[in-house]
Amino acid sequence: MFSTSDHYAIEAHGLVKRFGDKTALDGAGLTARTGTVLGVLGPNGAGKTTAVRILATLLRPDAGTARVDGHDVTTDGHKVRELIGLTGQYASVDEDLTGEQNLVLVGRLLGLTRAETRRRARDLLDRFGITEAAGRRAKGYSGGMRRRLDLAVSLIGRPRFLFLDEPTTGLDPHARNDLWTVIREHVADGVTVLLTTQYLDEADQLADTIAVIDHGRVVASGTPDELKAAVGGQRLEVRPLDPGRLTDAVAVLRDLTGAEPEENGGLLSVGVHDPHLPPAALRRLDDAGILVGELALRRPSLDDVFLSITGHTAHAEGALA
Amino acid sequence: MNNLLTQGLTLTWRGLVPMRNSPGQIIGLLMQPLIMILVFVYLFGGANNDGDRAGVVLYALPGVLAQVTLMGTGRTGMMLHTDLTNGVFDRVRGLPISRTAPLLGRVLADTVALAISAVAALGMGYVVGFRVATGPAQALLALLVLLGFAMCVGCVSAWVGLIAKNPAGIQVLITAVMLPLAMGSNAYMNPEYAPGWMRGWLEINPVSHLVSVIRGLLIGGDYATGLGGHLLATAIWGAVIAAVAAPLAVTAYKRRI
Repeated sequence: MFSTSDHYAIEAHGLVKRFGDKTALDGAGLTARTGTVLGVLGPNGAGKTTAVRILATLLRPDAGTARVDGHDVTTDGHKVRELIGLTGQYASVDEDLTGEQNLVLVGRLLGLTRAETRRRARDLLDRFGITEAAGRRAKGYSGGMRRRLDLAVSLIGRPRFLFLDEPTTGLDPHARNDLWTVIREHVADGVTVLLTTQYLDEADQLADTIAVIDHGRVVASGTPDELKAAVGGQRLEVRPLDPGRLTDAVAVLRDLTGAEPEENGGLLSVGVHDPHLPPAALRRLDDAGILVGELALRRPSLDDVFLSITGHTAHAEGALA
Repeated sequence: MNNLLTQGLTLTWRGLVPMRNSPGQIIGLLMQPLIMILVFVYLFGGANNDGDRAGVVLYALPGVLAQVTLMGTGRTGMMLHTDLTNGVFDRVRGLPISRTAPLLGRVLADTVALAISAVAALGMGYVVGFRVATGPAQALLALLVLLGFAMCVGCVSAWVGLIAKNPAGIQVLITAVMLPLAMGSNAYMNPEYAPGWMRGWLEINPVSHLVSVIRGLLIGGDYATGLGGHLLATAIWGAVIAAVAAPLAVTAYKRRI
C-alpha cells in the first residue's frame, strides 16, 4: 500500500516551538501519505496540539519545516488553508450563532454559493444528527453536539486534509464510535487525516501509522503492528499468588527472558519472542515453588508500547498537568 | 479586493446575527441613549439653566449622540477579545480568507449597531423636544460623519481588544481614553465657561469638533458658524486616528497567530 514516491502528503521535519522558557516541540518530525491516517499519540503536554497548530498555519515554528501537499506552512500558508479542515481540541463554534448559521458562515467564507452552502449544511446537519437543533443557538448544545457541529463545520468545504486534535476527548463511547465511522468514510474518499489522541485504542483503531510523541519529540513511529512487535512478540503476564514471592518471580522471569519484567500492582509483565518461553516459565515457577494466581499471554497493547518507549503511561502526566 | 469585501460582509452578517437570535441585545443598545438623555438633560441640564429644558435639549442632544456612539465603539474591542479567547478565531484564521476580513467585518457590524443607537438617540431626542431644524439631507450627513468618525475610533478599540490580556483591561483602557475625549469636550457645556487652560484642550479635542459638526448640521443657524472648519478638523482627526490605529490593529491580529 505504501508507494515508493518520496512525496508525502504531510511532511514535517525538526519542528521546534518554545513558549517562554517552556519547550513544546523539540525537533519533532511527522510524515503521512495521501489517503492515510496518521495518529499522533502522546500524553497531555507532549506537544501534539502545538504540532497540529503549526501544520494548520495557526502557529509559526521557531525552527524546522512543515509541508502540506508540498506547500510550506509558513511561506505558503494561504494555499495550505485552502486544503485543510481543522477540528480543535476545544470546539471552536460560535455560541451566539445557531448550528446552521455556523455552517453557513464557514461555507460562505470558503466561497461556496448560497445554494451550495445551504445544501451542504443540510446534508452535514443530517449526517451528524443535529438537524433538530439546527435552528437553536450553539450555546445550548451539549459537549457532544458541539464536537459534532465543529467537525461538520470543518467538513463543509470538502477538505482534502482533515486535522483532528483530540476529537473524541470527553465523548461517550457511542459518540466516539460515530465519529470514528465518519473519519473512516472520509479516509475511504481519499482524505488524509492527522489525528492526535491520548487514547491508545483510538490510534490502534484508526491510524495507518502512529507517531508516539513525548516531551516534544517523536520517540517512536510505525504501523500499530510494528510498534507492538517492537515491544516484544507477546506479553507474558504473571501474578504470584503470594505477594511475598514477587522478587523471586521477577528473578525467574529475568533469568529466562533476559529482559527486566515490569511490575504493576503485583502483576508482572514481560515481552516474550520465543514460543517455548511461556511453558518454560510456568515450569520454572513451579520448580521454585511459586504458586501462580493469574497467568496470561497476550499481544501487547499500545499501552505497553507507550510504557516501554517512554517509561511512563500515557495518562500519568495528564493527571499532573 | 472583491474577496475581502465579500468575506468582510459575510463576517459582518456574523456579527449582526446574534442580535436577531437574541433580541435582548438590542435593548442594551437602546438603554444607553435613554440614560444619557435622562442624566444630561433632566439631571444636570435643569440645574445649570434655571429649568430651561428646551435650551438644554437643543445644546446637549448632539453631545449625547456623539458620546453614545463613541462609548459604543468599546464593543468592537470586547467582541474581538472574546473571539480570540473562545476559539472562534482559530476557526476563522484556519480558513483561506483575507487576514483583514475579520477586522473589517467586526468594525462594520459594530457600526450598524452604533447606527441603531444613534437613530434611537435621535428618536428619543424628538420625544423630549429636539427638532432637526435643517433638513433630512443635513441630518443624514450628520449621522454619516458621526458613524465615519466612530469607525476610525473603532480601530483603536479593535487594537486595544487584540493586545489586552483580559477583558477587564479593555474596559479600563477604553474608559480611560473615551472619558476625557467625550466628557472633556463641548458636548454638554459651552467652553466659554471653562478656565483658560482647559479651554485649550476643549478646542483641540476632536470630539468638540465632531459635536460642533453635528450641531451645525442638525440645528443650523448660529451653530453652523465655522461648520466647514469643524468638518475639516473632524475629518483630519478621523483620518489620523484610523491611519495610526488600523495598521496597529492588523499587526496585532497577525501577531496573535
